[in-house]
Amino acid sequence: MSATTESVLLRLDDISLSFKGVKAITSISFAVKTGEICALIGPNGAGKSSLLNVINGVYQAQSGSVSYAGQTRRRMRPHQAAEGGIARTFQNIALFKGMSVLDNVLTGRNLKRRSSWIEQMLRLGRAPREDDEQRRHAEKVIEFLRIHPWRHVLVGKLPYGLQKRVELARALAAEPRLLLLDEPMAGMNAQEKGEMSQFIRDINREFGTTVVLIEHDIGVVMGLSDHVVVLDYGRKIGDGTPEHVRTNPEVIAAYLGTRRSRAEVR
Amino acid sequence: MTQTLPQALLSQAATRGSAIALRYKQLGIWQVRRWSELAQDVSLLAAALQQHGFSRGDDLLIISQARAEALLLALAAQWLGGSVTLLDPDLDHRQCLTRLKPAFVLAETLDAVQQVRSTDHSPLLLLYLDGRGLNAATDSGLSAYADFTVGITAEPPAPVSESASTAFIFHPVHDGQALRLSHGQLLEGARKLLSREQLGADEEALAARVFAASGQARYLLAPWLSAGFRLNFPEALATRDTDRRELGPTLVLGTRESYARLEHWARERLPLPGTLSHRLYRWAMLANANPVRRWLGHWLIRRPLLDVLGMSRLRVPLLVGPPLTEESAEFFGALGIRPGNWQEPAAPRESADVPAHLISHSV
Repeated sequence: MSATTESVLLRLDDISLSFKGVKAITSISFAVKTGEICALIGPNGAGKSSLLNVINGVYQAQSGSVSYAGQTRRRMRPHQAAEGGIARTFQNIALFKGMSVLDNVLTGRNLKRRSSWIEQMLRLGRAPREDDEQRRHAEKVIEFLRIHPWRHVLVGKLPYGLQKRVELARALAAEPRLLLLDEPMAGMNAQEKGEMSQFIRDINREFGTTVVLIEHDIGVVMGLSDHVVVLDYGRKIGDGTPEHVRTNPEVIAAYLGTRRSRAEVR
Repeated sequence: MTQTLPQALLSQAATRGSAIALRYKQLGIWQVRRWSELAQDVSLLAAALQQHGFSRGDDLLIISQARAEALLLALAAQWLGGSVTLLDPDLDHRQCLTRLKPAFVLAETLDAVQQVRSTDHSPLLLLYLDGRGLNAATDSGLSAYADFTVGITAEPPAPVSESASTAFIFHPVHDGQALRLSHGQLLEGARKLLSREQLGADEEALAARVFAASGQARYLLAPWLSAGFRLNFPEALATRDTDRRELGPTLVLGTRESYARLEHWARERLPLPGTLSHRLYRWAMLANANPVRRWLGHWLIRRPLLDVLGMSRLRVPLLVGPPLTEESAEFFGALGIRPGNWQEPAAPRESADVPAHLISHSV
């Protein structure tokens, strides 16, 4: 990766991770520039989600370091990542199904609150003003992602594609600098994928949010991303622009060649 | 005596300045503008338009859904003696735009801006409402509506008073002559409508239709300015059912299609046929039932259903275009909503953008 230090928001350096002796990630290094959309691709079990979990501190790498916004850490807890401006969505939707869309999005604003829990409980001091401010921010995100017709609907009653969008809204409500999206288009039809791609592109362009996403649909990845990192069996086998990766013989071999079935390349 | 729409606005500002004129939803919260504030807003927009070279006889082209901002700018253009051309944002107008070569344009979204930009002609003024996807900072030809009146200090001139001047122009979707409506025609039509439907300043109207329909100008905008009632804009077309429920309007304007859509929406939510609840619904919806059954049916089924539809306070359902389908008429009739048909008294016009303009009796 030729990204300079000034323009790099996230840098992974020689990251290795194993679970009880099984190596999930082996010595992976790459950098994500500020403002770019970076896609992590690879066959199932390649270590993509594990890598995302290392980035936001859910997993602690056994070796290597993660540099984010100029700070290098061996260990970073999830709450430190969130406070530092890293937000994420999950492969399997992790919303509060019994709460409305608006309330779910408001949970994404929790770290922005400054009032104490007593102030919030009794609605004293800073709490009322803060409530209005959080609501305004949440509504902006709701409008941006075009989920305003369902703002008062319970999330559990929404179709899958909309739930995915609500999860994205909750992550976006935190005003992240780095947005980690774990298969944001999984299980969607072509039209829904198109809409979600457009929303991700709009988030990147309008808010300048850097995006790292995992996606299996190569067509979507190539159309959406500025930068693609390819993993296979926990190792990095490709890193560059979509055009560069597309012509990489090792990537072609991993996807189309002897080791994996064609079925995994959609 | 008011001769033009802007004069009607000033008249309302003078007589009921503190009353609510407009209500619109922004970021999930209803916002209000009073008549006096509205008159100030429109005069400021008129001054800004004049500063950009807009003058008597010019035309402002608007490609937008029904939004308060579009309405205010339309009134500002008419204030200066100009006309307003309204185009439906859901349609492709490239051919029309090539022919019209508009000098002053308000485009709601990126798509509308792109349509204007696709022609060889460059407008003198291209305003946008929603900057999403637009690179306004690097595009010198684009201006944000939100910043349009910033730094405007000049006083606007007095609004025009020629009732014969054109207020709105509607271009047919396909080939054909444009429909031009003058201030006089609109105000005269509004006067007749107010008289027939007994409309007063207490009405709550919902402007959920496409802005670029002549029915909107005839039966909602002109009566609003004449009677001084409240005009409510939904947050978006997609939220109009929720917004209607929240508002409980007394006056709505719809087409056969929009009434059918609402009927379909309601039917989808009814209990499944064969269930006890569905039998109760059928029992309550029967026309010509005895008074006890009518009374019980009203409180058990029809009234809650009207609440869900946001029509429990509805007094005047207006219908533009062809009559309701038999099924829709039966459904709404059972609920006490009967948008009957009668042809509007002849209003001179060049041609119609819909086969016929029909408005209803009040219920």
